[in-house]
Amino acid sequence: MPGSRRRQRGVLLAGIALLLAALVLAVVLASVFMPGREAAGGRPLRWQDRGTTRNLREIVLGRCYSYLAERHPALGDTDCLKIWESLKYTFIYKNPCNTTAEDYQPLMELASHPIPCNKSLFWSKTNDLAHRYTKSSHSFLTLEDTLLGYMFDGVSWCGDPSAPGINYESCPKRSECESNPGSVFWKTASKRFAEAACGVVQVMLNGSIEAGAFRSSSIFGSIEIFNLNPDKVSEIQIWLMHDIGGPQSESCSGHSIQRLKRILEERNFTITCEDDYRPVQLLQCVRNPDHEDCRLCPSSMETP
Amino acid sequence: MKSLFLSLLLVSILFMNSFSEVRGRKWKGEGTTQNLESIFIGRCYDYIRIVNPAVGEKNCSELWEAFRNAFINKDPCNILPKDYELFIKLAFHTIPANKSLFWENNQLLVKSFTSGARRYMSLSDALFGFVADFLIWCGQANSTGLDYESCPTMEECENNAVDSFWRMASITYAQHSSGVIHVLLNGSAEGGAYPVKGFFADYEIPNLQKDKISKIVIWVVDDIQGPDRDSCGKNTVKILEDRLKALGYDVTCTDNYKPVLFLLCVDYPDDSNCILSSSAPPAQRRPISSDRGGSWNKLMFVSLVGFLFRSASEY
Repeated sequence: MPGSRRRQRGVLLAGIALLLAALVLAVVLASVFMPGREAAGGRPLRWQDRGTTRNLREIVLGRCYSYLAERHPALGDTDCLKIWESLKYTFIYKNPCNTTAEDYQPLMELASHPIPCNKSLFWSKTNDLAHRYTKSSHSFLTLEDTLLGYMFDGVSWCGDPSAPGINYESCPKRSECESNPGSVFWKTASKRFAEAACGVVQVMLNGSIEAGAFRSSSIFGSIEIFNLNPDKVSEIQIWLMHDIGGPQSESCSGHSIQRLKRILEERNFTITCEDDYRPVQLLQCVRNPDHEDCRLCPSSMETP
Repeated sequence: MKSLFLSLLLVSILFMNSFSEVRGRKWKGEGTTQNLESIFIGRCYDYIRIVNPAVGEKNCSELWEAFRNAFINKDPCNILPKDYELFIKLAFHTIPANKSLFWENNQLLVKSFTSGARRYMSLSDALFGFVADFLIWCGQANSTGLDYESCPTMEECENNAVDSFWRMASITYAQHSSGVIHVLLNGSAEGGAYPVKGFFADYEIPNLQKDKISKIVIWVVDDIQGPDRDSCGKNTVKILEDRLKALGYDVTCTDNYKPVLFLLCVDYPDDSNCILSSSAPPAQRRPISSDRGGSWNKLMFVSLVGFLFRSASEY
C-alpha cells in the first residue's frame, strides 16, 4: 500500500531529524559545561593576580558615603552611585588588557575635590609608615586619603568578555599586561594628585633599601615628579626615613637623592631634604620603644 | 483670672509644640548619619573581605536587618541592649587572646594606636564595633523610617538606640576577652582617668570572665602638655586597681607607657617629653646641595677640634 510506505518514510525522516537535533544539543551543552574552556561565552580568562574583590560595589559605596560623612562638608554634592556606575563601565565586559587613562576620566572628575596647599604627601617604598603617619597626625594627605584613593585602596577589579562581565577569579598582573585596570587607575590617579598639589609638598622615601631611596621606575619617580606644577608648588621637602635599627643605605647626600634633586631643579623646584624627619621617627618608635635609637631624654613625665 | 492665665499657658505650649514640629527637631542630638545602610553594609563587607578575612563569611544584609530591627518602629527612648542580641549573634567572631584593649577618654588615640597593626583589637576593630563606629542612628515610634533630623542624647534618655548598642557590644567584647587584658586610660582627663560610672566600669569589668583572664595591664597616659591629674596608685586609678584586685585579678599599672607616649609625641616633637636622646637639636632643613651628613659630621668635627686642642696643649 503506497500510503503506509509514505508514512513509514515520514517516521524515518522524523526520527533522523530528532537524532540530529539531539546531537547538536549535546554538542552545545558540552561546550558550555566542559571545564577548562576559556572561550567567550564560557569561563573567564585566566590571569596570575587576585580577582575582583567580592562585593566591590557595596565596599566602594560604603567607603564613599563614609568619607563624605567623616570629612568634607564641601564634598556635599558628590554622587556616590554615579561614581560606582562610572567605574563599572570602565571594565565590565571588557578585555582587561585594553584599559586606558581616558577610560577613567569621567570617574576621576566625579570623585575629585580640592586639596589644601602644603598638605600633599607623596611616598615611595614607605606605604605602611606614610599612611600610619597621616592617620595619626591628620596634618597631611596622601593619595589614599583623598576620596578617590580611599575608595579604591586595597581592592582589585577587572572585566572579562564572558558573562557576568566581571572576573572574580583572577586579574592580570603588570607583567602580563601593563594596561590592566588597576595599574592604569593608580597611574592616572597619581598623575592627577600631583597636578593638584600646591604650596610646599612632602615626599617620604625609604633610606634603608639597597636599591636606593629614589627610583625612576616607581610611580613617584616616573609619574608624580613630572606632573607637579612649578607654578603651584613652591618647595619639595624630602623626608628620608630609615628603619629603626635598619641599614642606613642612603642619606640625603646619597646618589639617588642627588639624581632626584637634579631632575627637580631642572623643572625649577626648590628642594630640601631631612634625614629621619622627627615626627615620623617618633611614630616608628611606637613599634620599637626599647631600641636605643628610641631612648627619650629624661623629663618630668618619666616616673622616678 | 486663673482661667485666663491657664488658657494663655495652653496656647503658648501649643504654639511651642507646633513651632518645634515646624523646625523638625524632636531631640537635642544630631540625627541619623546619611546613607547609614550603605555605610553599614559597605563596612561589613570591607571587614570580611579586606580588613580581617579570617572571621569568615557573613551575610551583611542579614546583619543590617538584625541591627535595624533593634530600633526601627519603636519609641527611640526605649531601646534596650538585648534588642541587639540577634545582630551580635550574627556579627560575632572570637577576639584573639591577649589582644583586648579597653579604654576611656581617648577614643581617637586608641584608633591610631591599634590601626594597621594586628597587635591589638579594640571593640572598634571587631566586626560588631567596626560597622557602627562614629555613626549615629535612631528611629521613631509608629514609623519604619530612620530619624535624620535629630536623635535623643544620653541626657534626654538613657535607653536610646546608640547607647544601648554600645552597651551590648561592650558586654559581648568583655565576655569574650581572654589572656592578658589591656586598659588605656587618660591621666589628664577631668574627673579622673577611670570614670567610676562609664562603659568600662559598668558594662565591661562586670562581664570579664575571670577564668579566661591571666592578667590586667593598666596604662595611664597623660596628654602631652596636659595636666597630670591621675597616675598609677593614685585617685581614680587606685580605685580601679583596688576594684580589680578585690575581684581576684592579677593587676599591673604603668604610667606613660612608652609606645603610646611616642604616638602622642608625633604631634609635639619638640615638647620636652618627646626629645630623643639620639637626635640633633631641632633640625634645620637645609637645601639639598649642602652636605647633610648631619650629626655624624658634627661628631667628626668636634673630635678633630678636640684632638687638635689636645695635641696643642701636650706640645
